[in-house]
Amino acid sequence: MDLILVNLIDGLVTGLLLFMLSAGLTLIFSMMGVLNFAHASFYMLGAYFAYQISMVLGFWMGLLIAPVIVGVLGALVERYGLRRVHQYGHVPELIFTFGLALLIEEVVQFIWGKDQMPYSIPEVLNFTALSIAGNAIPAYKVFMIFTSVAIFIALLYVLTRTRVGMIIQAALSYPRTVEALGHNVPLVFMGVFGVGTALAGVAGVIAGPVLSTFPGMAVVLGSIVFVTIVIGGLGSLWGALVASLLIGWITTFAKAYNIRMEDILTGIGFEKPLEMSENVFRDLWTITSPQIADILPYLLMVLILVVRPYGLFGKRDA
Amino acid sequence: MTTQTVSRKTRAPLVSLSAALPWLIATLFLLVMPLVFTSNSALTIMNQMAITIVFALAYNMLLGQGGMLSFGHAVYMGMGGFMCVHVMNYVEDFSLPLPLPLLPVFGGLFGMGMALIVGSFSTRKAGTVFAMISLGVGELIAACSVIIVAFFGGEEGVSGDRTYGLPVFGVEFLHQIEVYYLTAFWLVLSALLMYLFSRTPIGRMANAVRDNPERAEFLGYSARWVRFYSFVASGFFAGIAGGLFAINYEILTEENLNLATSGSILLVTFLGGVGFFFGPIIGAIVFTLLQTVLSLQTEIWQLYLGLLFVATVMYFPGGLAGVLMMHTLPIRFGKAGLLVGPYFKTLLPALACIFGAVSLLEILFHFRHAALGDEEMTLFWVTFNSHSPLPMLIAAIATVAGFWLARRGAPELAEAWHEANTPNAPQGGAA
Amino acid sequence: MTATPSNTTPALQIDGLKKSFGKAEIIRGVDLSIGTGERHAIIGPNGAGKSTLFNLITGRFPPTSGKVRLHGSDLAGLAPFQINRMGLSRSFQITNIFPAMTVFENVRCSLLWSHGYRYSFWNMVNRSRDLTEGAEEILEQINLTARRDLPAGVLSYAEQRALEIGITIAGGANVIMLDEPTAGMSHSETDYIVDLIRKVTENKTLIMVEHDMGVVFGLADQISVLVYGEIIATGRPEEVRANPKVQEAYLGAVLEAEH
Repeated sequence: MDLILVNLIDGLVTGLLLFMLSAGLTLIFSMMGVLNFAHASFYMLGAYFAYQISMVLGFWMGLLIAPVIVGVLGALVERYGLRRVHQYGHVPELIFTFGLALLIEEVVQFIWGKDQMPYSIPEVLNFTALSIAGNAIPAYKVFMIFTSVAIFIALLYVLTRTRVGMIIQAALSYPRTVEALGHNVPLVFMGVFGVGTALAGVAGVIAGPVLSTFPGMAVVLGSIVFVTIVIGGLGSLWGALVASLLIGWITTFAKAYNIRMEDILTGIGFEKPLEMSENVFRDLWTITSPQIADILPYLLMVLILVVRPYGLFGKRDA
Repeated sequence: MTTQTVSRKTRAPLVSLSAALPWLIATLFLLVMPLVFTSNSALTIMNQMAITIVFALAYNMLLGQGGMLSFGHAVYMGMGGFMCVHVMNYVEDFSLPLPLPLLPVFGGLFGMGMALIVGSFSTRKAGTVFAMISLGVGELIAACSVIIVAFFGGEEGVSGDRTYGLPVFGVEFLHQIEVYYLTAFWLVLSALLMYLFSRTPIGRMANAVRDNPERAEFLGYSARWVRFYSFVASGFFAGIAGGLFAINYEILTEENLNLATSGSILLVTFLGGVGFFFGPIIGAIVFTLLQTVLSLQTEIWQLYLGLLFVATVMYFPGGLAGVLMMHTLPIRFGKAGLLVGPYFKTLLPALACIFGAVSLLEILFHFRHAALGDEEMTLFWVTFNSHSPLPMLIAAIATVAGFWLARRGAPELAEAWHEANTPNAPQGGAA
Repeated sequence: MTATPSNTTPALQIDGLKKSFGKAEIIRGVDLSIGTGERHAIIGPNGAGKSTLFNLITGRFPPTSGKVRLHGSDLAGLAPFQINRMGLSRSFQITNIFPAMTVFENVRCSLLWSHGYRYSFWNMVNRSRDLTEGAEEILEQINLTARRDLPAGVLSYAEQRALEIGITIAGGANVIMLDEPTAGMSHSETDYIVDLIRKVTENKTLIMVEHDMGVVFGLADQISVLVYGEIIATGRPEEVRANPKVQEAYLGAVLEAEH
């Protein structure tokens, strides 16, 4: 029972982190119809900037300043890059963001090199907050949970209760009408892109110490984020949340419990072959859940795309 | 005006000379190349180019011809390649009388088979959904490849030996040059078939569906099925590229299936230009040269590649081929000469600017990442101290000055372009 | 209106057609019967649902209720390409051609299916004499032979509309639906297009949506007036013109302006 709790918490951390990334991505898609392939790259930049700032001003300054820098960069990218490519169509837009992801990775390597950065948990949070069934829950994880939830609530509030939020929601569906009403829609676009990337930056700032800060960190998380918003439904914030948590928990539990395919197959009634090493299906027999934990999201995504292309909560077709 | 003017007494020739000429020249070129570049490393590079060309052309069947962006096309090449290595091993283990030249066919068929399965659900929609499915499927298969050791060989991949195939006229394909001619043969054959495909009804409709899927539906064609057949054909040729890879390198690993490989073929194809058949060919050649030659000169060649790619997407979405073909109209009008002067005025300073920027980047990189105490670096055949301010200053000045001069010449160039693209006074009233 | 038990099935038979988007009922029950070879115009004020009606017939989206029959066959659940293969072809209000292809290629693509080429990858279209001759014939009919090798995107507006019509009839469909073919045209361009339409739709069934009354009265045998998703009148042009309901709802004010 307690073990389940531990895994729930772990999965929650992963899920919320994923959500911070996918929320920004799905908002950007909702608004501009473009899937920002470079979204995870901004996450990476967040981690690197925070590391650099923390070297001089400490972790908390990093947490405060780094996302802002990332957001500004994102807004600039939208204004001078994406807007220019927008006229060529959706496919060139996607290709542009893909190229951007490539470029950012190279620039990071140029500036910081290929090694992992010693970006670590601040001393003040480096202790064990709880102990459940003998497993230590680090305070930092609790901090991660709180920060993510706080940001989610703030986001929800801004989108649904403030005037800016109303304008954004309207511009999401009827940009031309909103523009006719006198609002500066291009500015809104730039703002949303900036905020979206800033969110990714925040995720990077808090995930950096835990998931390690290195040039490949964007690639590792990048495709999972896409999988998340596709499963949740392109354009749906709630879908992003549900899907993120789902994936967080599925992968955590799959890794924690060593479910073996062998047991499942023999349970159904298949007989385990004697000569395993030569058997063509030996891989199938030896699969364990930790092995396929990272693949499960992709499997789920393909399934959803086949069965329900709108995703779990999606309203509009991509 | 369309009354039957002349009843053709003689049958029109199968292929006109002007259409066949580029192909004949290219084939001749391929035959002659190894006689000019005789070193083994040159042969290796040429083989690599050939394989990339086939893969890129296959990819462009989707992207350029069909308007479908795929982030997971490496799967079809990789699977084809893996199949071929297994076939090579069967030939070796069971002494099957299979000549090596036929091997790529297996790759093609297997790639096509994979495409049939995936295409059955991925081609329902084009655009972003298709791109996402391709990404998901690609990652899924790449991830599975580490688990399914029986087929994919786990971490070390699967390797084979090409010399066990049935010898062809005594050739056992032991030597690089023999492999080269085999690869070149398949290159010409595949390219020709892909070109002809674009001239068939399905090829034409693929273009139509790309431009206007709704209109195509009202011409009696299901956009979905047109996309599906394009996808399958593309998978077939990607598989052939995989087979050629297997023959050349005799080993396939998870790397052949992953996102990096899929991404690089996208880069290659787009860089070359998706709007023209020969675009990917140019892209493959340029990319292979950058990858093999440039990587030896500088550690940050991938940064340059990234910059080039983004610049291409933003300013030259037609790619290198597009830039070249932009000149056909002025040439046709006989006004290409107008461009020479402005080109000098803008491109030369732009070149200086690029040199300056490159120098700056190289110096900075060396300054930041070189081992402690290592202060000397060589750039453009000049050796100097990377920590002294003078080289950096020179580079910075070159960059800024070049940029400023190029900027100054730009309006003149724009005007010259406009003039060069306008036909002379028309010979009769416009229709 | 029940199906008339005659020896000729109507080319298009619509019964009780309704379409709602969410709570908004756009088409509120349309009954219409169009005979083979008839030239039928559908007119009505903006927002009456004319384009929606077209889209329902051509399979762009499914009706909420009601039936559409083409030559007696029910079109329910069929995709646009399937309906097209049954002999119905349409043009679009906003020009819908292949701008990157040449004019010749545009027309040739329209011939591919009807000439039986399907999804074949073993014929070269350049070497297919029937395609080339067929395309040239159509180009001649729509008077674009001189522009055949230009990309369709650089044609003038009127030329593009003519091309649009050419693409629509090229496949040999016998029920042609034209959505505002003369939209945005000058007087002389309109006359030209009307002549073109008359020529190419000889012996075919023509259904068109139009705003230009001159065009309507010049071309149509029958007119239906669509107002707020319902047909308030159907009949010969003179009858409809004289119908007080129609005059009140739509034609009245326009009639004054035209004369």
